[in-house]
Amino acid sequence: MPYLVSFHMGWLIGSVLLGFCMGWISVVQRGNGTSKMTARWLAVLVAGLLAASFAHVVPGRFGYWLDLGLIMFTCYLVGCTIGACLRYWVVSRSQPAG
Amino acid sequence: MQMLFRWASKWWPGLIPLAVMWGIAAWNNTLPVEADLSARSSAALKDTVLDKTRIAVDGRDISLVADAFSEEGRRDAVTAVELVPGVRLVDDQTRLAPEAKPFVWNAERDVVRVTLSGSAPLPAIKARLTEAARKEANGTEIADQMGLARGAPPRFEAAAMLLLDQIGKLKDGKITISDTKVSLSGMARDLGGREAIGAALKNLPEGFSIAANEIKAPPYIFQAYKDPVAATLTLTGYVPDNAVHAAIATSASRKFFTEKVVDNLKASVGAPGSFNTAVIAALGALSRLSTGTLVVSDREVKLSGDALYEGAANDIRAGLGKDFPKNWQYKPEITVKPPAGPVDGTVCQQLFSELLAKGKIRFAPKRADIDPDSAGILDHLIETALRCPTTNIEVAGHTDSDGEDSFNQALSEKRAQAVIAYLVKAGLPADRFTAVGYGSTQPVAANDTDDGKAQNRRIEFLVR
Repeated sequence: MPYLVSFHMGWLIGSVLLGFCMGWISVVQRGNGTSKMTARWLAVLVAGLLAASFAHVVPGRFGYWLDLGLIMFTCYLVGCTIGACLRYWVVSRSQPAG
Repeated sequence: MQMLFRWASKWWPGLIPLAVMWGIAAWNNTLPVEADLSARSSAALKDTVLDKTRIAVDGRDISLVADAFSEEGRRDAVTAVELVPGVRLVDDQTRLAPEAKPFVWNAERDVVRVTLSGSAPLPAIKARLTEAARKEANGTEIADQMGLARGAPPRFEAAAMLLLDQIGKLKDGKITISDTKVSLSGMARDLGGREAIGAALKNLPEGFSIAANEIKAPPYIFQAYKDPVAATLTLTGYVPDNAVHAAIATSASRKFFTEKVVDNLKASVGAPGSFNTAVIAALGALSRLSTGTLVVSDREVKLSGDALYEGAANDIRAGLGKDFPKNWQYKPEITVKPPAGPVDGTVCQQLFSELLAKGKIRFAPKRADIDPDSAGILDHLIETALRCPTTNIEVAGHTDSDGEDSFNQALSEKRAQAVIAYLVKAGLPADRFTAVGYGSTQPVAANDTDDGKAQNRRIEFLVR
């Protein structure tokens, strides 16, 4: 893991920034997001991929790409969370109570 | 938390550019990652002892193919690769190096190169053997065709190093270790090389033994050339030591009474047995030739040249072999010198006197047995006598003054008769010769010194 992170630092920072932007937008975006069912299926998919990664069942380059994809995805989620929280904090400050 | 889920439900559009980034990252980084992991794995294996190592990287998975020389070494190598940061899985395809049975190692030398082949037990030993061969061969090309295998006998390296030391002493040849048996064949570079190798082999490490030592020495050559024009006898080649050298030089100066001895002999070990006896006998034969060459090569004696008369030629062809040790070969190529023209008695007398002034017929002390060293001068006297066939010759014996007069008188007569018997045996008619003994009554020098006595002990030829 430390090796993957250090080797792909640029791409991971990119993923965090992308997530940050997405999170920033998501707070004020109107409209419905994914349905609960879809979100669950997505969560199951991600869990399955994580399990496959940790179990080392995917061989060779595909295994490496899977690990890279999951790390980038994790960074994206972290970026989204930070972006959303920050935007929420900014928005709540700019709207005085009332 | 509920807000976070609500926000998260709107994050999915970002997954599209994320997927694109992922694809680009994978496209760009796969080969660099593989190259990096391959380099790190190779570095991790630097201190391990492996042969035929091959590292293949697929993503972050390493496939390690190698021959190890012990089970522990094999495990250590796999662990070392597993511990490389970034490596995900190691496909262990290592195995123990094959065991050679018998464990054979060769060092072969020819004109242009030294070839090392067979098996070496470890890469480091292989490298050290190659380096040692390079030093020993002194500029000759080294061809390393050694493989690696387990199963070397204990102290293999010490034995191989000692044998490599011997490679420099060979002109060509092959040295083989098969388990603990050592075989050598080929030709030593110098005289004495075979003996030096034989001595070095006594220091083989414990457990090793010589199965065959067929190192041959270069021929041990002794040459003598009798040149009647320059009146020289040139000696070249080798003699075993200074004592034999002195004995040969002394013998040559006694046998070759008219020639100056040019001595270019060198001392070297490696002479065949009975070298001294054989060479002195062969020099005796050469002294009877008017011109000739003697070549002694190991145990083979080649004598070529012109005898002074037919009887001497036959005698040299037939008789000389008897003087050689049994396992020696004698190859005479003797021709007869064209006979010189006849001369009258006065010239004959002059020729006899000249010959006997240069050399003398020698006898055993106090006896009438002719010394074999006198064969040369006797042949010259016979050749001269053949040139004046109508003359009668008095052979006169003289002694020094030591001892009783009657004994000296009898001895001088016997010696004169012995000389006539020799001449008659050589084919001259007996009625041409008269033996006379003068004892010590006609000295030519004072008898008070050894030198004077030696001059007085003589045979004279007087044409009547």
